[in-house]
Amino acid sequence: MRGRGLWGLLPWSAFFAVFGLIPLLAALVLSFYSMNPLRPDLTHWVGGANYARALGSPAFWHALRTTAIFVVGTLPVTLVLAYLVAALLARLKRGEAFFRAAIFFPATLSMVVISLVFKSLYAEQGLLNGWLQSLALGPVHWLQDPRLALPSIMAMDVWASVGYYAILILAGRKTLPVEQLEAARLEGMRPLMIERRIVLPHVMPVLLFVVLLNTVRSFQIFIEVFVLTRGGPLESTLTLVYHLYERAFYHFEMGYACAIAYLLLLLVGAILLAQRRLIGRGPAEIRTEAAL
Amino acid sequence: MSRAAVALSFVALISIAPLLYMARVSLGVGNALPIAPSDWWSGGFTLEHYRSLGASGGMGRFALNSLIVTGIAVPLQILLSAAAGHALARGRFAGKGIYLGLATAFLILPRQVTLVPLYLLFSKLGLLDTYAGLILPHLADPFGVLFMAHYYQTLSPELEEAARTDGWSPAAIFWRIVLPLSGPGLAVVGVNGFLITWNAFLHPLVLTTSESMRTLPVGLALFAQSEHSVDWGALLAGSTIATAPVMIAFALFQRQIVEGLLQGSGR
Repeated sequence: MRGRGLWGLLPWSAFFAVFGLIPLLAALVLSFYSMNPLRPDLTHWVGGANYARALGSPAFWHALRTTAIFVVGTLPVTLVLAYLVAALLARLKRGEAFFRAAIFFPATLSMVVISLVFKSLYAEQGLLNGWLQSLALGPVHWLQDPRLALPSIMAMDVWASVGYYAILILAGRKTLPVEQLEAARLEGMRPLMIERRIVLPHVMPVLLFVVLLNTVRSFQIFIEVFVLTRGGPLESTLTLVYHLYERAFYHFEMGYACAIAYLLLLLVGAILLAQRRLIGRGPAEIRTEAAL
Repeated sequence: MSRAAVALSFVALISIAPLLYMARVSLGVGNALPIAPSDWWSGGFTLEHYRSLGASGGMGRFALNSLIVTGIAVPLQILLSAAAGHALARGRFAGKGIYLGLATAFLILPRQVTLVPLYLLFSKLGLLDTYAGLILPHLADPFGVLFMAHYYQTLSPELEEAARTDGWSPAAIFWRIVLPLSGPGLAVVGVNGFLITWNAFLHPLVLTTSESMRTLPVGLALFAQSEHSVDWGALLAGSTIATAPVMIAFALFQRQIVEGLLQGSGR
């Protein structure tokens, strides 16, 4: 049915082009201009100056470093916890549906809501300081102390992500044939040995996918910072996307913000390509495999 | 109880407790946070914070805006995804691979890249601060289309081909044969579209300028940064309102939500 029935593709393609692809390309073009929407008459071509400015800017490198710390600090913790939770869920004989629901639910929540709830937990008069007080400690200024603000946001992110990745890993475990596990058990392999020799290699592609997904998502963190700290205190939580947002919508440096956006895009693209190299498959195929 | 169940009870408690805390503070008297665990039960319950949110108007308006945006965007997403997904699954045309590649790339790449161009485009078109401006970016999301293309590939085309031999028009085939068979797939697209639209933050933040057009997440986040920043009862009552529809969707469609997230529907 060559070419037939393609009318159905048109409406969505129009939206995708106008509100997806064209803005994507427009951002690239804009990144070579100096542009302030309050003075559109002053818009002019600057070549690579926006990129040069970003790469020479301490604020940009600081934002990149903050983002990198966030990624490196949360990823291993989230991954190990998610793996453990998935292993526990797989071991359950009864009640899996209940625990799975309870553990997965936070993944569906608005990040604004999660951030507000944690803001109340972290508050000077909040629950955490209440507990510390009953131990005659504290109060700790979780979000006001420049050394603690970023780790506090990272802890919240781990809380918000573990359930989601645990369910992904669990789905990967379930594609393992039961007979293979039975056979290993009959051969007298101990549970830990089965876990290491059979389960772990089997879910490795899913784990790599989790690493990739978590990295890409962490590079984009914004809401947490916007709600909890607005980049402070002393810029200790200034992430890349928050930096981009400030440049674009507080300082109206639209061209510069687009250059930052494209640097982010290149970075994420490079990570995706490296992953493709590493395991030779795209995330889409793994995702399909991992489906329940 | 097995050891796994004991450990998981602990994990489940940690993952649910902050939400119980949210609901508890929203029902508390006054604005002080109940810091000692004993305060959880004593200290009284009241709907005062919900009433004051309703009376001051703002939060009700935000909720209404969120309902309007999701109420229009999600059915449109469902229809667009079914039509485009079906065409992609059944059609053979030059450049199909490139088309799928572009859509997949757009699904994975950071969406913040489109923020500035969309802002400039919408300000030029007069769409800033309008419902259209809040709805349109959601219609470009490739997740539903890719998901439905995959769904239709697993659906046998025999029935459609029989209808075509009988002289049915493509439109009749789509509305009367394809769509009625699409329920399970469209449920996944719909409920995940709902979650993403309902929880959307960055684009609605930038594409609205007046308070009366804010959606619930944007309204809440900015309310928390106004003079209400320690108005914990009101803040967490607003958070509870924003969470309730998600909770209902989760109760009804948990399986579809999990499937959507596994297939790459991002938050």
